[in-house]
Amino acid sequence: MKLTQRRFTPEDVASLIATAPLTSDVIDTEQRRSFSTRLRSVPTVQSRRIDAWLVEQAGQGGRPFSWRPSTARRLLGTAAAQRLQRQPRRATDVVREIIDEYLVRAMSGQARFGSLGHWLSGLTPATLGLVVAEATNWCHLLLESQAIVGELSVLSPADTYYNVSTAQTTLRGRRDMIVPFDEHRVVIRVRQGVPGKSAGAGLRTDLVIDALGDAEGRSASRFIGVWPDAGLALSVDGTMENLRAGGRDIVRAAVVQRRQALTAAA
Amino acid sequence: MTNSTATPLSLAARLRGTPATRPARDTVTAPGLRAQLDDVVASRGLHPRAPLILRSGTLRSNTVALESSPMARLRGLLVTTALTLLVHEQPLEDAFEDTMGAWCSNQADVSLLSAFAAADADVQARLRADVRSHVSVLRDHLGTFASSWRPQTAVRTQVLLSGGALVLRDDIDLMVGSVTDPHAALTLLDITTAPLGERAEHTLRYHALVQTLRSGAIPLRVAMFSTATADCLVREVDPALLQRAVDDLATHLSTVAVAA
Repeated sequence: MKLTQRRFTPEDVASLIATAPLTSDVIDTEQRRSFSTRLRSVPTVQSRRIDAWLVEQAGQGGRPFSWRPSTARRLLGTAAAQRLQRQPRRATDVVREIIDEYLVRAMSGQARFGSLGHWLSGLTPATLGLVVAEATNWCHLLLESQAIVGELSVLSPADTYYNVSTAQTTLRGRRDMIVPFDEHRVVIRVRQGVPGKSAGAGLRTDLVIDALGDAEGRSASRFIGVWPDAGLALSVDGTMENLRAGGRDIVRAAVVQRRQALTAAA
Repeated sequence: MTNSTATPLSLAARLRGTPATRPARDTVTAPGLRAQLDDVVASRGLHPRAPLILRSGTLRSNTVALESSPMARLRGLLVTTALTLLVHEQPLEDAFEDTMGAWCSNQADVSLLSAFAAADADVQARLRADVRSHVSVLRDHLGTFASSWRPQTAVRTQVLLSGGALVLRDDIDLMVGSVTDPHAALTLLDITTAPLGERAEHTLRYHALVQTLRSGAIPLRVAMFSTATADCLVREVDPALLQRAVDDLATHLSTVAVAA
């Protein structure tokens, strides 16, 4: 399984995109069924979510999720970047507009307990200000990353979700940009920090979830992770070998999660 | 253009300067600097199995006492939070209470907060007064950063050299501009609550070097602003300044090697 490393510069990323394979592998119905069966074989009493981060942590989730300005930044900042591309304005104004929409939904009782809107509605003005600032930071980082990736890229409208209902499992594949071609696509994810030793496993997880989320099961020809903080880009190709490895890692994360739940219950 | 005096212009105006006079984007210097540092790392016998991690503070010998004080760290963090809020045009009614509330909402680690709560009333009152004063200076001098400059605050950078044998970490309080601009446009600002000392030049060079290695392009300028004195040190970044930064690092690595 080849993991390619490059600098995160316009020239290097352009080269990674230009040399992406012209074809990619497809996950067929039988393979989807087999994957579902393997996930079902790891029982769970409550619904579970698996993403690249959990796989990178080898299934050991650590601290439970809670909303903070830093955890809300990607959701709000990405939405702001998409609106900014349709209608150029000040990024902070767009972020405030999006937050206002969440607050309106929360005020009208449409936000469930624990949702972003519910959390936002309980914040002080100063904390709300930091939420705006963090989201604007992410928005600018995303737009700057897109400028480095090049004008062929488009911001991804949403992450990929793939639900294996019989296994009570939702897979979430994060993706920030797509470079569409006639016969294939390159998908790009923007990450913070520095790629760790399990970064390749994380990329393969996002690759396989992206393929499972595709109606025809076609994988991206290349999945690129970019780490602007470190100036690095890593990529994996959409080969069956990488897709299988990504699937195996997801099942393994579910097994570890299951063991942890049993240990905690005991 | 190089200045080291009190600031008549806003920081925003000084950081952006005159667009017409900016040099072309330089992407040929960074690989040479990286190669030099790789040589230095190899000559010092560093290995990815036991990486040496450096920060700008590591190169300064006089910051140990400051960093060991929780109240001084908290003061710096609150002023940085205030910068984040001000750059993105968020109103601050009470510079201490607002920044403290905002900062706390983003922390999983409560050790500094506990230290503040455990401090006696006199220490708490002094910190409140300190933060209000530093933020007031910052607000007076900051100016406005246009959204089109893509300002990013509290940018953490880690550059790995020689396969991770040497890790250069850096925190930039404010970064504006794009590395994709055909002209040098990236500008870096470091805010300090201490007066600008003799080591400020070293710190600026370190910031410039790490960002050059990270992005592959030379930044336009780098600056440090003291909220204690309202002094601002601005340096244009060029290959000579970066070469001095490499020399600083090589010197530091030789002392580390000698100490080891």
